Amino acid sequence: MTPTTSAVPILELRGITKSYGSVTACDAVDLRVEAGEIHGLLGENGAGKSSLMKVLLGLVRRDTGTVLVRGEEVALDSPQEAAELGIGMVHQHFSLINGLTVWENVALGDTGKVNKQAVCDGIAEVSARYGLPVDPEARVDALSAGERQRVEVVKCLRRDPQILILDEPTSVLTQAESQELFAVLDRVVANEGRAVILISHKLAEIAQATDRVTVLRKGRVAFRAVTSDTTPQLLARQMVGREVSLGEEGAALGLLPVQQTRAGHDGAHDRQQAVLRLAGLTVVQGGVEVLGSVDLTVGAGEIVGLYGVEGNGQSILGDVLAGLVAPTEGTIEVAGNRVDVTRPGALSKAGLGIVPEDRHHSGVVLDMSVAENLTMKSLDEVSGRFLLRRRATLARARRLADEFNIVTPSLDAPVRSLSGGNQQRVVLARELSGDTRVLVAAQPTHGLDVGAIEDMYARLRRAADEGVGVLLISTELEEVMALASWIAVISSGRISGALPVSEATPERLGMLVGGEAA
Amino acid sequence: MRAAPTMAPDDLGRRVLAHLRPGRDGWLTTSLTIVLVAVALGVSALLLTLTGASPSASLSAIWTGSLANTTGWTTTLLNAAPLLLVAVGAAICASAGTFNIGQEGQVLIGGLFGAWVGLRLALPGPMLVVVVMAAAAVGGGLWAALSALMYRFRGVNVVVSTLLMTFLAIQLVTFAVSTPWLQESAQGSSGIADAQSNPLPADALLGGLGQYPSMQLNAGLFLALVAAVGVALVLSRSRWGFRVRMVGLNPLTAKHTGVRVAALGGFTLALSGAFAGLAGGLLLASPVSPNRLQAGLSDNVGWDGLLVALVARNRPLIAIPVSFGFAVLRAGGDFLSATGVPYYLVDIVKALLVLAFVAPPLLVGLLRGRRGATPPTPFPLPAVPTKMKAAV
Repeated sequence: MTPTTSAVPILELRGITKSYGSVTACDAVDLRVEAGEIHGLLGENGAGKSSLMKVLLGLVRRDTGTVLVRGEEVALDSPQEAAELGIGMVHQHFSLINGLTVWENVALGDTGKVNKQAVCDGIAEVSARYGLPVDPEARVDALSAGERQRVEVVKCLRRDPQILILDEPTSVLTQAESQELFAVLDRVVANEGRAVILISHKLAEIAQATDRVTVLRKGRVAFRAVTSDTTPQLLARQMVGREVSLGEEGAALGLLPVQQTRAGHDGAHDRQQAVLRLAGLTVVQGGVEVLGSVDLTVGAGEIVGLYGVEGNGQSILGDVLAGLVAPTEGTIEVAGNRVDVTRPGALSKAGLGIVPEDRHHSGVVLDMSVAENLTMKSLDEVSGRFLLRRRATLARARRLADEFNIVTPSLDAPVRSLSGGNQQRVVLARELSGDTRVLVAAQPTHGLDVGAIEDMYARLRRAADEGVGVLLISTELEEVMALASWIAVISSGRISGALPVSEATPERLGMLVGGEAA
Repeated sequence: MRAAPTMAPDDLGRRVLAHLRPGRDGWLTTSLTIVLVAVALGVSALLLTLTGASPSASLSAIWTGSLANTTGWTTTLLNAAPLLLVAVGAAICASAGTFNIGQEGQVLIGGLFGAWVGLRLALPGPMLVVVVMAAAAVGGGLWAALSALMYRFRGVNVVVSTLLMTFLAIQLVTFAVSTPWLQESAQGSSGIADAQSNPLPADALLGGLGQYPSMQLNAGLFLALVAAVGVALVLSRSRWGFRVRMVGLNPLTAKHTGVRVAALGGFTLALSGAFAGLAGGLLLASPVSPNRLQAGLSDNVGWDGLLVALVARNRPLIAIPVSFGFAVLRAGGDFLSATGVPYYLVDIVKALLVLAFVAPPLLVGLLRGRRGATPPTPFPLPAVPTKMKAAV
C-alpha cells in the first residue's frame, strides 16, 4: 500500500518506541517522509504524534528504533543535533518572547555576534521568497495570532531546515490565513525539495493540504496512504478505529456536519428568558483593550456558540466568567439578577457554572482527590460550621461520579491520575451540580479523544434540554455548527456578528472571524 | 495604583514548595536520601577528625549532653518546643503556597513584644505569663503581616521580604535594648549597662512542672505538641484548612470557587509569623535562655525551625520527631562545644543533614523534568535551543 517512492527518503523512522513509565506513547512506529512532499500526521489526542515529534527533535530519547536522515543513521540525542541535521519545528503554542521585537525573537538561539542588519536582511529575504510579510521592528505582543505564527514560520525557515514540522498550525488561524499558510508550505516543498510534516487532528485539513498521510492510533501506525487515494471518511475510520457517522462524530473529528441535527431548537431561541446577559463587557489590561464592549445573551435551554480563532479575547472572557478577572466596565446578569463580580464566588453563587478553557489552570486542583474536587464549590453541603464531613463528601461525590460516568480508581485518588476526559467530566459534574442556570463551556473538547468529545456534546445537549442556558466558546467551527442554535463570532475582543445557525455558513462565519461584516 | 498581583502567585516559593510536597517519593528519592545521609555523616566525621577531634568522642559528648541523663533530655525537650512551634507555623503558610523564611526575625520580634509586656505590665501571677505569650504571638504575626502587605500591594516577593525583614528585626531589637526604651538598669559599681533588657519577673516565666531540681520541663512543650496536632487536624479536616490547601495547590481554582485567595494567603503568612513569635515568647520565658531580651535571644531557633519544616516536608506531625532530632543536636552541640570542639561544626553537621533530606526530592524532580520520565504535561514545552550556522 506504500506508494512508489524514490530510493532514499529524506527522513525515515524505523520501529520507534517510546514509553513513559507503563504508558507506551509510540509503539514501533515507522514513518517515511520524502523530499518535496507535505506529509500529514493524523491522530487523535494521545495517539502519539507529539511524542514521535519530540523524539525527532531530540527533546526526548527514544527507547528503541533507528532514525535515518538522507539514508544515514543518526543518534538524535539533543535538540542541537536535530537542528544541525536541518530538522525545525513550529510549535503549537508560540515560543516567542512577547517583550522583544520580531527580529530579536528570530535571532534568539543564534550563536556568535548578533548582527541586526544581517538578521533583518535574512527575515526580508525569507519573507519575500515565501510570501510571508512580517515587520522585523514590530514588537511581538503587538502582533495578532496569525502574524505571530508567520514570525514562527519565518524564524524556522531562516535556519534553512530540510525537514519542517508544524504542530497543529491552524488552531490560531482564520480560514483565510490557513489557506495562505498551506500555499506557503506548497512553495516550500515544491520549489526547494524540502519536506514538511503537518501534524493535525483535523481531517479536512489533512485531506486538503497533504500529499501523503500517516495515521497514528494508540501509539501505532494504523494506516498510511497517498492522500488523494483516500477519503475523509476512510481517514476518520482509521483514526478512531471504527465506523463514524458524518453528523455528530464527524464534527468531533473536524468535518462539517452534513445535516443540521439540531432541528426544532432554532425556534426555542427565547430572548425573554435570558439566563445570561453580558452588557458592554470590557476588559483593559496594561492599557490594551482585550475585550471590547461585549454584548451577549443566552436564553434558558439554548446553546449559543461563541466562535472565533484562538487568541481573540475568548480566554479573557472565560476568566471574567470564572470570576478570575474583574471586568473594567460592563455588567453581567445571571437569571435576571445583576452580579457583583468583585465579590469572590459571586458568579457561581448566582448560578453560573463554567468549564474553563484550561482545566488544569483553573478547573481542577490536580493534587486533590476526585471527591474534594467534586465538592469544593458546595462546602456548605458537605461540612458543618467548621469541620468537613467526610461521609457527606463521599456520598455527594459518589452520586456525581455515577451520574457523569467518571471513571476513577477511587474517589480518594488525586484528579491528576485521571484521564483528560474524566478530568473534564469532574469539572462538568461539579459545575452543573447545585442550582446551575448557565453553563459556560470554553473549548470543552480541547485535548479529548473522540469518545470523550461525543460524551461532552451529549452532556451539553442534555444540560440545554433541562433548561440550562449554555454558552459554548469554541475555536472549532464544526463543533459550533453542530451544537449551537445561535452563533456569535468574536474577533479582536469584539463581537463582530451573530446569526442563527440556519443562516450560518462557513464562508459567512469566516468573514466575521476576519472582522468583516457578513 | 498598580493592580495588586493577585493572579501571579509567589512563583519562586511555590516552585520550591511544590517539589517538597510529600507523597511524590519514589524508591529513587528514598534511596538517594539514605545515601546522602550516609555521605553527610561521613563528611561530618571527616571534618571532626580534621579539626583534631575524635568522631566517636564527639558522638558520645552529643549523647551525654542530650539524652544520657535527666538534665540532658530535659534540655533537649526544652529546645524542641520552640523549634516545633516555628516548624508548625511554617507548615501552615506552606500549605497555602507561601514560603516564609523569616522566622528568625519573627521569633525576635515575638521576644521583643513579650519582653516589653512582661517588664511593663504588673499582672498577677499566671496571668502575666499568658499575656507575655500572647503579646509575643501578636508581635511575630504583625512582623510577618508586613511582608504579606508588601506582597499584596507592591508585589514584593515573600521569600525575599521575609528574609530581609529578619535583618531589620535584629537591628530593631539591638536598638531597643541599647536605649532607655528597654535597656537594663545599670548594675554594680561600674554603672555600665549591657545591651540587654532587665530579666523578666518570675511571674512572667514558665514554671517547671513539679519540684524536681534537675527536671525543668514546662508547659511550652505541651503547647507545641498541641499546636502541632491541632494544626495538622485543622489543615486536613476543617473547611478553613480545605480552603488553605486549595490556595496552596491551585490558587486560580480556589478563587473560582469563591475563596479570597490574597486575603487567605496573607493571613496564613501572618499566622505562621505568630507561631514563630510564640516560639520567641517561649524562649524568653523558658530556662533555655537568660530570660531577658537580647539580640541573640533567637539563637538560630527561627532558622532551625524552618529547617525542621523543610525536613518534615511541611507536615506538622512529622515535624514532632524531626524537631526532637534537631533539639538533640542543639543540646548535644552545646555540651560538645564545652569539650573544646568548635560549635560551628555542629552547625555544619546540621546543614549537611538538612541537605541530605531536602536535596533528594528536588533532585529527583529536576531529573524527571529533564529526562521526560513523567507523562507528557499539558503545558507547552520551552523553546527549543538551536545551534545553527549563521543562516542565509
